Amino acid sequence: MVPKLLQTSALVGIVFYFAAIYYLLRKKTLALKYTLMWILAGLLMAVTAMFPGILTRFAGLVGISTPSNALFAAILFAILLILIALTSIISSLNDKTTKLVQSIAILEKRVRDLENAGGASRSDN
Amino acid sequence: MSKSNCRILVIVPACNEERNIERVINDLRSQAPGTDYIIINDGSTDNTLGVCRRSHFNYLDLPVNLGIGGGMQAGYRYAREHDYDIAIQLDGDGQHDPSYIKEMVTVLKDKRADVVIGSRFIEGQGFQSSWTRRLGITFLSRLIRLCCGVNIRDVTSGYRGVNRRFIDIYADEYAQDYPEPEAIICAALHGAVITEMPVVMRHRAEGLSSISAWRSIYYMIKVSLAILIHWPVLRKRYN
Repeated sequence: MVPKLLQTSALVGIVFYFAAIYYLLRKKTLALKYTLMWILAGLLMAVTAMFPGILTRFAGLVGISTPSNALFAAILFAILLILIALTSIISSLNDKTTKLVQSIAILEKRVRDLENAGGASRSDN
Repeated sequence: MSKSNCRILVIVPACNEERNIERVINDLRSQAPGTDYIIINDGSTDNTLGVCRRSHFNYLDLPVNLGIGGGMQAGYRYAREHDYDIAIQLDGDGQHDPSYIKEMVTVLKDKRADVVIGSRFIEGQGFQSSWTRRLGITFLSRLIRLCCGVNIRDVTSGYRGVNRRFIDIYADEYAQDYPEPEAIICAALHGAVITEMPVVMRHRAEGLSSISAWRSIYYMIKVSLAILIHWPVLRKRYN
């Protein structure tokens, strides 16, 4: 049903996708923790490319008449999920930054007070 | 008030208040003797830090701007670390008159409340804010009364005081941008006795208030959402 050429180019694209993830992981610019969701997305893509019948069945199941539209809908939904995950990661980073900034300010004050006290006692001697 | 067994910290958040902060602190020293204070310089881009240094004020210097929520929480963390019994929030822009601190402290010390809020609407004197702002405040006030069972009219007032228990709670959890109504919700969730006392607020002496018209719409939605999230817990408690 699906042309062999399309299937091959999709698989080649997915290979590049995994190569990019692997490269970033090796360079350590991507934490393994956050890579898992991208790997999962890649596996889903690979399975769909190898067995396009899944897509037709999925389209029929949710009531979309053309499989390609089902594909777009599924991709959009997956991207939304990943964006929500990213927002949640940013929120927790934001929370940590806030706590760190507060701690730095409190410590800076303590250091300043200690330096002032030390300076005063030195000038007394 | 200056009894040695009760230590009081006035938290003064200041973001770009170089023209107000000196007057605020001088007022505070003369109107509320026996209290300590800490200025939270929230990443000011003007010379607020320079003024604090020159005048040898007691201050925390946040290296980046956190907004009023994160700044205030830094104050509460400082209060907890230094073992204060009572913390009072007093804006660094000069719209809060420090002469009310004495009464706030009395309310907290007599255990009449865990959280006391200075309200400009009880006696309706002094600066009352624009009517659109008041409409928003009334809406939030009703919403909080409905959901949390506490009747606070001036829910956005940043002039408030809390006891030791809530210093500890606010040091751990304090809402970020526009935190005032959410801090009331948080206190209600922890079973606080919250009261209001009448205060007269002044116009800001210098500079601009940090809340614009568009932001107040965001503010309303955010606070409503905060209440809705906690609705199941609150309903269980008050029904």
